[in-house]
Amino acid sequence: MGIKVVKRHGNTLKEKLYLPAIFGGMKTTLSHFITNLSDKPHISTILYPEEQPHDISERYRGVHRLTKRDDESVRCVACFMCATACPAECIFIEAEERTDGVDEKMPKRFDIDLLECVFCGACVEACPCDAIRMDSGIFSFIGKKREDFVLTKEQLLANKEKKQ
Amino acid sequence: MSTLSVFVVILNVILALLFSLGLAPILVWVERRVAGLIQDRLGPNRCHIKGIRLGGLVQSLADMLKLVFKEDFQAKAIQENFCFSLAPVIVFVSAFLSFMVIPFADDLIINGERFIMQGLPTDLGILWFLALAGLSVYGIMLGGWASRSKYSLLGAMRAGAQVISYEAAMGLSVVSLLITYGSIHLGDIVAYQGELLFGFIPAWGIIVQPIAAIIFIVTAFAEANRTPFDLAEGESEIVGGYHTEYSAMRFGLFFVGEYVAMSASSALIVTLFLGGYHLPYLNTQTLQTTMPYVLGFIILTLPLGSFYAMRWIKKHNRWYLKSDVRNTESAVLQKGLIGLNILVIAGLGALLYLGLTPTSTNVATAVIQVLTFAAKLFLMNFVFVWVRWTLPRFRYDQLQTLGWKVLMPLAIANIVISAIIIVVKGL
Repeated sequence: MGIKVVKRHGNTLKEKLYLPAIFGGMKTTLSHFITNLSDKPHISTILYPEEQPHDISERYRGVHRLTKRDDESVRCVACFMCATACPAECIFIEAEERTDGVDEKMPKRFDIDLLECVFCGACVEACPCDAIRMDSGIFSFIGKKREDFVLTKEQLLANKEKKQ
Repeated sequence: MSTLSVFVVILNVILALLFSLGLAPILVWVERRVAGLIQDRLGPNRCHIKGIRLGGLVQSLADMLKLVFKEDFQAKAIQENFCFSLAPVIVFVSAFLSFMVIPFADDLIINGERFIMQGLPTDLGILWFLALAGLSVYGIMLGGWASRSKYSLLGAMRAGAQVISYEAAMGLSVVSLLITYGSIHLGDIVAYQGELLFGFIPAWGIIVQPIAAIIFIVTAFAEANRTPFDLAEGESEIVGGYHTEYSAMRFGLFFVGEYVAMSASSALIVTLFLGGYHLPYLNTQTLQTTMPYVLGFIILTLPLGSFYAMRWIKKHNRWYLKSDVRNTESAVLQKGLIGLNILVIAGLGALLYLGLTPTSTNVATAVIQVLTFAAKLFLMNFVFVWVRWTLPRFRYDQLQTLGWKVLMPLAIANIVISAIIIVVKGL
């Protein structure tokens, strides 16, 4: 086994003077400063409310939406699978009988409290009918009071799939 | 006391206030924006009054208002109420007063009366600065002790040790300067720097006494408690250091005091080493003899500079929607710049057209020198900020090693060498 001699740093006069290294560091920071003041800055900060994020991926779990059948009626059959799977217990379903012959059951009320929701996607996994999805791409939801954050069935049906 | 002298004294006090206290919010903004730009982010730029953002300058105003109206919370364990309240006042007042002996311009002569252009018309100069700058650490130590918190006490202890280590080197570097300049009055020191060395280099302190300049600048960073010597408030190990227990405006005074101290240190560095209020190659006499040309130069370059400033603002402060605040703000700034240009050019043109009297020449000289001083002060403050966002913090023992084992022997050697050169050359 040979011995590898590691070169120690910090013993030359230049390194012991500190000042050349300090000026080197100051040069680096100044070059960043000047570049960012110039016409081609390297700042990747987006100006948020005006500029929307462009890195929302296809699989991003946004606000939920209820999907529809081909005849534009609600696909959900009020089986309570999603409400059962929900770890945050934020889904409130009230079922009623479906009379148009398409199916037997449908939700009368389907509320999701977004303040409780942890956006885990367990409801989407649990749904046997592909009736609930989280592909709306809505990443920020704004309301002025707590009640605004409880999404009703109509609001969930109105959410559209995000165009990629 | 004539009306004129009262007016000049009040003007001087206002200038001193502007350069110390008025600069503090601007420096806070500069600090945050420069930090952002150095680290490839934006920094605060949204706060505005009716759409006027000024690149986020309004943010400092908002922060100040917040500090004033916040609850002034004080822990029950603090029993030395008087000391606790006195500490930020000492820090602030000593930083503020140390600014008072900096000359902003050469002595102004109006109608045969001579006015010293500094906050306090005294020639104590550098002694005043050393006395008061050393005092500010008492505020820090008192605050840290009265807080009854271990973090505060440790911070105060570090600050005390730091000041002891650095005050010595600072004083010694100043001694070598005094040997060179032959005066403690800052006005004389600046006048010395207006001369030329070997006939072509401005005799600025940084060229005449480079070692003293390095030592003084390094110790000034320690004196103002700025990075890399701000270990009195090392967030990673002692939370906020000496001001951990302070809130609201009492903390605000510490905060503003830090910036005023930084500004005072830069003012002294500018005065001692960077030629003070002198433009390079233009000392007071040459400035007064060539005044018409200087004014003509200003009239020519001001519109050009404003044009480039405007172009920069238009490129960087805009948004594709016409009605956006950025576009309206740019338009307002453009109008303001054009108005300023017209005002200045008309004033200077009238001055040149009517012919310069000795009094108007003197006043114009003073104004140009005050502006020069302000520009240099701002640049030096920028260097303070720039260094803060470049260098990491020194360790406690490294700091003391640097102070006692490197800077102090260097300062003493510098005194000996300067003295020998002065004696041999018989200056």
